[in-house]
Amino acid sequence: MRRAIFAVLVTAAGLMLLLSFKPHEVASAERPPAAVSGSTAGSTAGSTAGSTAQDAGGTGSSGESAGSSGDGARTVTGDAVDTRWGPVQVRITLSGSRITAVDAIVVPDSNGRDREINSFAVPVLTQEALAAQSAQIDTVSGATYTSQGYAGSLQSALDKAGL
Amino acid sequence: MTTTHAGHRPGSSGRHVSAREAPARGVTRLVPAATQALIAAGVVAVLALWWSDTPSVIGLGGWLTGAGRITGLLAGYAIVVLIALMARVPALERGVGADRLARWHAMGGRYTVGLAVAHTLLIIWGYAVTARTNVAHETASLVLTYPDMLKATVAVLLLVGVGAVSARAVRARVRYETWFYLHFYTYLAAALAFGHQLSDGEQFVGDRTAQLAWYGLYGVVAALVLWYRFITPVARAFRHRLRVTHVVPEAPGVVSVYLTGRHLGELRAEAGQFFRWRFLTRDLWWAANPYSLSAVPASHELRITVKDLGDQSRSLGRLRPGVRVAAEGPYGAFTARRATRRQVLLIAGGVGITPIRALFETVPGEVTLLYRASRPQDVVFQRELAAIAARRGAALHYLIGPRAQVGEPFTAEVLTSLVPGLRDHDVYLCGPAGMTGTAVAALRRAGVPRRHIHHESFEF
Repeated sequence: MRRAIFAVLVTAAGLMLLLSFKPHEVASAERPPAAVSGSTAGSTAGSTAGSTAQDAGGTGSSGESAGSSGDGARTVTGDAVDTRWGPVQVRITLSGSRITAVDAIVVPDSNGRDREINSFAVPVLTQEALAAQSAQIDTVSGATYTSQGYAGSLQSALDKAGL
Repeated sequence: MTTTHAGHRPGSSGRHVSAREAPARGVTRLVPAATQALIAAGVVAVLALWWSDTPSVIGLGGWLTGAGRITGLLAGYAIVVLIALMARVPALERGVGADRLARWHAMGGRYTVGLAVAHTLLIIWGYAVTARTNVAHETASLVLTYPDMLKATVAVLLLVGVGAVSARAVRARVRYETWFYLHFYTYLAAALAFGHQLSDGEQFVGDRTAQLAWYGLYGVVAALVLWYRFITPVARAFRHRLRVTHVVPEAPGVVSVYLTGRHLGELRAEAGQFFRWRFLTRDLWWAANPYSLSAVPASHELRITVKDLGDQSRSLGRLRPGVRVAAEGPYGAFTARRATRRQVLLIAGGVGITPIRALFETVPGEVTLLYRASRPQDVVFQRELAAIAARRGAALHYLIGPRAQVGEPFTAEVLTSLVPGLRDHDVYLCGPAGMTGTAVAALRRAGVPRRHIHHESFEF
């Protein structure tokens, strides 16, 4: 019994120690990962987003896809940014130089955990982007990779829009 | 009552067997340490895999999930180590010793079940915190929607079940055979849990090298088990065609079974070793029980001596000549190779005399045997032991009688007075765990270094 308690304590202490050596700060997404061309976008957020991604891939290797609607708003699609769990790609809607909407058209969804994480992370990231009006947004804890991909794709969209 | 025969009555009828010269004695000492070092290196590698793959640990969810991943990786590693320890690999069986392997396995087994349970709870909790959902919802989502998670759920339940049956309190109440066969479910558990490690494990998804290493680890252990636990025993059974020749009662509840077969020399069995015996009769064929050789193995004959301890050993008295036997082995490092000193003390308690009886004949050097039994009628091999003592000029002491009457026979004082120069002996001990523990403590107090005390416990 004493040995069992000892084993539990040593294991718990070892775990705490290992975990404590890792950084605990929310890493900012100032260094977005390298962008990949839109055509490599493999997994998609949904069926409608999927077709959009294909379109985005089809329009050019840079993945640029800008359109405009009657009221002067235009949309720009950012590059698909590859993350560990799959590509992330966003499309922004601009009114003049103001971002009025951000749609994540491709997010990792290869398993249940990806879907679960993105279901809460993407709305938070969108809110942050709209509030910041830039790609300087905080990482959502628990969704580090998606956050980085999101910021990277958003930055490329802003670059293409000339903002 | 203490009786002593010291090397008289020469010219006895004991059969002459040359004690095999033990090659490379020093090397076998290194095997346990090397095995432990190898296991520890694997632990470090597993932790390194997590370390190199984890950029940061953020928030409560991050801590919980991180701890869950580490415990999960360790559990996935530990379960194959446990299976490998029990794969009957000859180098381990001889170098480490089956009883020590069994102790490591039992200790490691409890720890591994703990790791698997901790992994399950920590991951559920951690994912729930990260996903901002509750634990019940997260559990359902994990089990039902993640790949291979239904299988993993069954696996963890199996592990907990096997762990519960092996726990000391329950173990005493189930039959040896039940307990033994339940353990085969750990193979199933390891196989069922394997899928989710690769398809859901953060450290394996998208990391081809880690995946291949994990496949390699599981593959090698599976091959070892298949080869040494299934193919080799079957091949051996066909090669040696062991049969019972006769069964001799030795004492109340104790019988000797004599066996013969072909090519027995190829088994390279040594005095002090044991086999796992499977008697191919209608009621016994499915259980393989470990019994020590009670005589020096000869080219045409093996002998085991069995005390009525479990269900199987009771039926052995009714074995008929001609019954076929499949034997796995030889196992055990309790052999003359362990001795490095000229003087050797053998201590036997009860039916623990069986391997000691064989060693008494073969261990080189000046030999003293202490044989402890609580009742005179329990003493076996009296005539054989006297004959060996006479031929070798060895000392033989019987320590007989209930402890209430004769006092504790295993104290530093008693042992020192019985065995002159005790501290310069190599000591071999075999008996019930309680007796072995007492005797080891007494020997240590009497100044015998731990590395010169060799013991094998009968309680598997």
